[in-house]
Amino acid sequence: MGFDFNISLFMESIPYLIDGAKYTILFSLISIVFGILIGLFVSLMKISKNPFFNILGNLYIEIIRGTPLLLHIMIAYYGLAAFKINLNYFTAGVLALSINSGAYCGEIFRAGIESIEKGQMEAARSVGMSYAQAMRFIILPQAVKRVIPPLTNEFVAMLKDSSLLSIIAVPELLRNARQLMGTKANVWSPFIGAGLIYLVLTLPLTRFASLLERRFAKGGV
Amino acid sequence: MEFNNAILSVRNLYKKFEGVEVLKNVSFNLHEKEVLVIVGPSGAGKSTLIRCINRLEEPTKGEIIFNGNKIDNKTDYNKLREKIGMVFQKFNLFLHLTAIQNITLPLKIVKKKSEKEAYKIAMEYLSKVGLKDRANHYPIQLSGGEQQRVAIARALSLEPKVMLFDEPTSSIDIELIKDVLDVMKNLAKEGMTMIVVSHEMGFAKEVGDRILFMDKGEIIEENDPEDFFRNPKTERAKQFLSKIINI
Repeated sequence: MGFDFNISLFMESIPYLIDGAKYTILFSLISIVFGILIGLFVSLMKISKNPFFNILGNLYIEIIRGTPLLLHIMIAYYGLAAFKINLNYFTAGVLALSINSGAYCGEIFRAGIESIEKGQMEAARSVGMSYAQAMRFIILPQAVKRVIPPLTNEFVAMLKDSSLLSIIAVPELLRNARQLMGTKANVWSPFIGAGLIYLVLTLPLTRFASLLERRFAKGGV
Repeated sequence: MEFNNAILSVRNLYKKFEGVEVLKNVSFNLHEKEVLVIVGPSGAGKSTLIRCINRLEEPTKGEIIFNGNKIDNKTDYNKLREKIGMVFQKFNLFLHLTAIQNITLPLKIVKKKSEKEAYKIAMEYLSKVGLKDRANHYPIQLSGGEQQRVAIARALSLEPKVMLFDEPTSSIDIELIKDVLDVMKNLAKEGMTMIVVSHEMGFAKEVGDRILFMDKGEIIEENDPEDFFRNPKTERAKQFLSKIINI
């Protein structure tokens, strides 16, 4: 079978692909929100001087980043069933993506927090704020700005990696493209369609991230 | 000048950083309303010494008694730091907050003041350092001298009993140093108890009550400012002073 791109099949594929893209976006948006929350927590554990939290945070990040997302998805969907936890594809997918991105967001937040000059924490402590107050009112508000570009990139990665959810039959963009391949008996038309839609989603975001990065690099607000 | 009892007593203080002794057996008293100036070459341990007082550094050994209470691991460091103001070499204003917010935030969080009260107090102290008209500027929009004066106002607004100054003018353009020193001089005249790590000899002579000369983690000489600059007792102080042009 040669290069079988066909413009009318391509056009026919688009609505179904867009249906899939809606799931891709939905899963990614929900999971990045949880991922950010988990990440914030994990980063605070990792920079904590308390050995228990410190080890816990490190362990989480190392284990998750050292294993493939596909494995996390499989465990959430098939593995947890062994403990009578039967998750539907929606819950399992969000769970796996959130836990996975929590580790990456954790590293992003840690880097962001550590990029804030040491004097800020010292000044906060010197006026009588507790560590927690200094984090909340002084360090985190400044770190948030600096983590927006890497978090945007993390979201872009999530949009692409959520295609792995096709393995548990989430009707997302890539899975719909593969279905079209079967029903239309055509490879290139749906896949080029899927690729283009991914690009439409990711390109503006990566541009936005690099724009912000350059602005922050110049010391702008 | 007459002094009452020591408000702060440092006794046999040691500090080790990764095996290196930065402070060796440092002892001195600070009396109420006294202005103590610490001078010495860089690496002498001056900053470490004053950072041990408000516990930004943990001393390895020795004791510090503040206001009649020994500072140890049972001390509430946050409460302690409310009573000991600190001014840093690099100002360390909170960069995401305006000048006035830099002052109101600690007042609200630490002193539990209402927004309105905090604003009133902050304005008072900004006027005191001559920066009322800069209230809504962000640190990045202020000169080094202005930032440092805001930092001083921030520390003062908590009504500390002692103020620590860690090389407050070393990061400031030379033509702006005077404004900062003037604020400090006024403070001394009002009777604030101060420890100032500084190489500003003019300031030390004019408002300093006593000089501590440190080198290699030890107090080498304790002297009256006039005598110290005119006729130091120790050879090391003589050598140090001969290297400083600006006497």
